[in-house]
Amino acid sequence: MLAKDQREFISQHMKRNKLRVFMTILAAAMGCAFLIILASVGFGLHKTIQDEVLSNRIVTEIELAGKEGADERVTPEEVDAIRKMEHVKTVVERVMVPGSATVKLGEKEGYGELVYTDLAAEQLANLALDSGKMPASSEEVIVGYQFANSFLTEEQYKEIEAADDYLAKETELAQAIRDKLVGQTITVDVVDYETNEVRATQTYTISGIAKKPGRDWYYDQKIYADTSKSSEVLAAFDIEAPDRSITVHATDFQYVEDLTNSLKDQGFYVYSVTEELGEMNMLFTAIQIGLVIVGTVAVLIASIGIFNTMTMAVTERTREIGIMKAIGAPPSLIQRLFLLESTLIGLIGTVIAVAVSYALSFVVNIVVPIIVFGSINEEAPTDMTITVSYIPWQLVLIAAVISVGVAVLSGWRPARKATSIDVIQALKEF
Amino acid sequence: MILISELNHTFKIGKKGQEKDIPVLRNVNLDVAKGEIVAILGKSGSGKSTLLNLLAGFMTPESGSIQVNGEELVGKTETEKANFRLQNYGFIFQSFQLMPGLTAFENIELPLKLQGVGKQQRMIRVKELLQQVGLTDVSDHYPNELSGGQQQRVSIARALIGRPSILLADEPTGSLDSETEQEILQLIQLLNHHYGITFVIITHDEEVARTAHRQYRMHDGAIQEEMHYVS
Ligand SMILES: Nc1ncnc2c1ncn2[C@@H]1O[C@H](COP(=O)(O)OP(=O)(O)O)[C@@H](O)[C@H]1O
Ligand SMILES: [Mg+2]
Repeated sequence: MLAKDQREFISQHMKRNKLRVFMTILAAAMGCAFLIILASVGFGLHKTIQDEVLSNRIVTEIELAGKEGADERVTPEEVDAIRKMEHVKTVVERVMVPGSATVKLGEKEGYGELVYTDLAAEQLANLALDSGKMPASSEEVIVGYQFANSFLTEEQYKEIEAADDYLAKETELAQAIRDKLVGQTITVDVVDYETNEVRATQTYTISGIAKKPGRDWYYDQKIYADTSKSSEVLAAFDIEAPDRSITVHATDFQYVEDLTNSLKDQGFYVYSVTEELGEMNMLFTAIQIGLVIVGTVAVLIASIGIFNTMTMAVTERTREIGIMKAIGAPPSLIQRLFLLESTLIGLIGTVIAVAVSYALSFVVNIVVPIIVFGSINEEAPTDMTITVSYIPWQLVLIAAVISVGVAVLSGWRPARKATSIDVIQALKEF
Repeated sequence: MILISELNHTFKIGKKGQEKDIPVLRNVNLDVAKGEIVAILGKSGSGKSTLLNLLAGFMTPESGSIQVNGEELVGKTETEKANFRLQNYGFIFQSFQLMPGLTAFENIELPLKLQGVGKQQRMIRVKELLQQVGLTDVSDHYPNELSGGQQQRVSIARALIGRPSILLADEPTGSLDSETEQEILQLIQLLNHHYGITFVIITHDEEVARTAHRQYRMHDGAIQEEMHYVS
């Protein structure tokens, strides 16, 4: 029998029992939709948290806290070796000073966070400029975007407090200061955290301003100075081997996990976002598997409907099957026709379920955040998108395989029963 | 064409463990030549249908051999037998056995679908045959919208459409009035004459048997050819 004729044969049969076939498809669709929606909540929450983690961090960054060994320090040779590793874009080394910086800008006084670093490496890693240019010598520095804010005067703060939109006001006033920053000279007093006395004083010219950080709440008030300038300060503090913050930057997020592992294998103490994600992913995978299993139970319940429908179809059509076999339909064809019918029921059910699930998921993602944030009288944080339900294509694939598979399995026995119908018995009954 | 030799069949009835044997066919020998109409006569319960069912491959005999068109049927698998029927046999049943959900046209078309014949070919062949059996006007009727004679014509057309070499008929006129019976018998003779189709007709009716070239008579599962009829 030609494939086309088989399809026609099945659709003819299904049309003769419209209501029952419809109800069965409905049951199959509900089971499958339940499975998808349930699991999609697991995927949605996973996505929300993952997005949150990733957006808070420079995801290509791997922190190097030290190395196994007596003093747990990473040597410059080791840093060079890491720099030459595959998929490493650059390694940024910052020298830490145990003091804070009080800054004088002409008449104004403010503060900053002194960072001695390799500016070329910083630039390669992620330091981008808002205005100005990169330092041409160690006498020049880059300052953070909100460095200007520390120079707002008492009066200006009063003005800000009085304003309707104080954030906008602060931004506006700070912008005025920032606009004049490039080219100005600052005097930096390095103050001892413990004794509060000034240990060293350095003078710099601001050559550029770093780009505004991605997150609104984060204020970048750093002063990025060249590493060579740290020796004088370190000497004042009497420090020979300063603490360094070392970060390895991968060329792409996809290499972070491998790089992290390979550094770990070499004995480095490392931390990257993949560490956090790894544990979280495992937890969520477990949750998702659990939800898929619960959802599968719904599909299995629906499969009873398919089993019932197909068994009744076989019983009802006993005579017709007898006639078909008598005039020469092979058992394999009979089996295939019934299997195709139950598969088709499962398939149509799945297609409906996927469509409904996407629609429902869409609605849920709009409605649930409104209910949640509405009820606790809080405004949704503007920069945080909450995904309650998320349907990745993998979920659709899993759900489709499960529901169509279950449909095929539940149609199996009835189809076998159809092939074993005795021609003589079937024809005798009428 | 058909050569049945030493065919035996026994039905087992009753519960397991205390089955009773009912011997139905005993050493049946029968031969049918190409282009012949052969009738098998006998009282009800003499084993005629059992013989035909075995010949059709609807069941497997206890012992003996059934050769059709040079092929041994006994021992073939269900699939092989189904394919054999599809290629070699046409069936005419007493109760027509038409598919209730299909129109006259679609019923006749069915064996061609099973043979995998394309739609266009099917249209041509079914239309032609509908004309020959005089059913063109009712081709889109369902079986329950047709008279007994019309239904039997549809079933004959369905039996013929696949161009089989042998037609097996079990009481083909059993459900028809005598006038319609005559029509059907004439049609059988016409088809035999025109296309050389071999017929094996089972009947308890001497009148029907007379249209055959040769007659066999069954009695309690034993068969013997009748010599005194002259057709
Ligand atoms: N499936 C069966 N099980 C048991 N006995 C059967 C079965 N089919 C037929 N018989 C018996 O076999 C005998 C022959 O039946 P059948 O071949 O139908 O005769 P006929 O067609 O000549 O009327 C009868 O006695 C009948 O009761
Ligand atoms: Mg009979």
